[in-house]
Amino acid sequence: MQPLHKIDDETAAYILETRRQFEDLRQVAAQLAGFLVLNASGADTASPDHPMLASAAELYRDAAEGVQCARPSRRALLHHRFLLEASADLGAALTAARNGLRVDPVLLPLRRAYRHLQDAACELPGFEMVSFQHACCAARRAPDRAPQENRI
Amino acid sequence: MNRYSIWAMEFAEVPDYHLSGLIYGAHNQGYRRLPYCYVVIKGQGRVAMIDVGYNHKAYGEVLANTYGVRNWRPPREVLAECGLAPEDVSTVFITHAHFDHMGNLEDFPNATFYIQERELSKWVWAMSLERRFRWLMLGIDPADLLRAVDLARQGRLVCVNGDREDALPGIDLRAAFDTHTWASMYVTVRNDLAANSGNTWVFAGDLIYAAENLRGADADDPFYVPVGLATGSQVNLIMTAEDMIKAAQGDPNRVIAVHEDRLGSMFPSRTTSANLKITELALAEGEPSRVG
Repeated sequence: MQPLHKIDDETAAYILETRRQFEDLRQVAAQLAGFLVLNASGADTASPDHPMLASAAELYRDAAEGVQCARPSRRALLHHRFLLEASADLGAALTAARNGLRVDPVLLPLRRAYRHLQDAACELPGFEMVSFQHACCAARRAPDRAPQENRI
Repeated sequence: MNRYSIWAMEFAEVPDYHLSGLIYGAHNQGYRRLPYCYVVIKGQGRVAMIDVGYNHKAYGEVLANTYGVRNWRPPREVLAECGLAPEDVSTVFITHAHFDHMGNLEDFPNATFYIQERELSKWVWAMSLERRFRWLMLGIDPADLLRAVDLARQGRLVCVNGDREDALPGIDLRAAFDTHTWASMYVTVRNDLAANSGNTWVFAGDLIYAAENLRGADADDPFYVPVGLATGSQVNLIMTAEDMIKAAQGDPNRVIAVHEDRLGSMFPSRTTSANLKITELALAEGEPSRVG
């Protein structure tokens, strides 16, 4: 993957524009996966009217619209295609989840969507499948500073 | 007599992790090597593990480039140091759902996984919250949840509600709700299989990162200091530390913190050709030493 400082301005603008949508699509995927875990482990609450599905649908609507409206640079065309495909598959997974309790019709498009998101994360910098910032055991080390900058 | 052989096996490391992440309030006190480690328990005709590490294919580049995680080695290479393969593992106890403990489920095709049900259900709840609550989701990978779906359908995911005695002979699971995570758990191994064991090991997951969490800065006048990151309560972490010490017959050296860099100097150990440590905590009868 190209380092961030070698990205052209147009692509950098695209990254800033779509990062939020990427994170929201990732969140929708997580919500659907969570719903399936509840379902597969036999939890009573895993019904099509689970509030998380409503929350996922709302998040999805805005994210999908944002992806549609994004203006990719030439360098970002493939990335944008991954986002569009992820968005389409998540839409299919959501519809399936709200139509019934069977796992496969949700899981199959959800897996595809996740792969598209992974591909997108690998294609351009600035997109992470797992947010590690402030996560335990993987803390970002601050860049070295001159001593006086550390004084309070 | 030991009934299980037990090794703590490093699979990656952060050369310089900030101390305040390990010890609550230890700001501006420097950095320390942070090993990533899982525990292998062999005996009674089976192989069990406590946690499974993370999947380098999915996270490796980000972790290496941005967060300084180095030297990841796959389970096949790590376990081979003890003459084992991932296929030999029949049981895995997941202490909590963070990526570096639960992030490699697919590499253990014959294992049944135990996790606290609340650990999953609360993550799912956190996912349903609005975007401004996303701190609660940090360190969680949706892909792990997808794999958990598969495990559940295959009957290989056991959701535990609270404590469970003898999940395997002599091995107990202890819930620690609202501590490091929603429902972390620690694992005790009564290595003589006795009900009132005098030979108990406690595997703390991330409820303890370092010796200082159990003794503070003064080993002669110890006090508990929570770990540097918790979704739940610092009070609960401290009370759990007390429970773990009691379970370990009062011996803090028997409460094993898998991120403790000094583990290898407290017990017999060796450094592998990959520059990662294996620490041998116990040897069952007939088992050759893997560190000699």
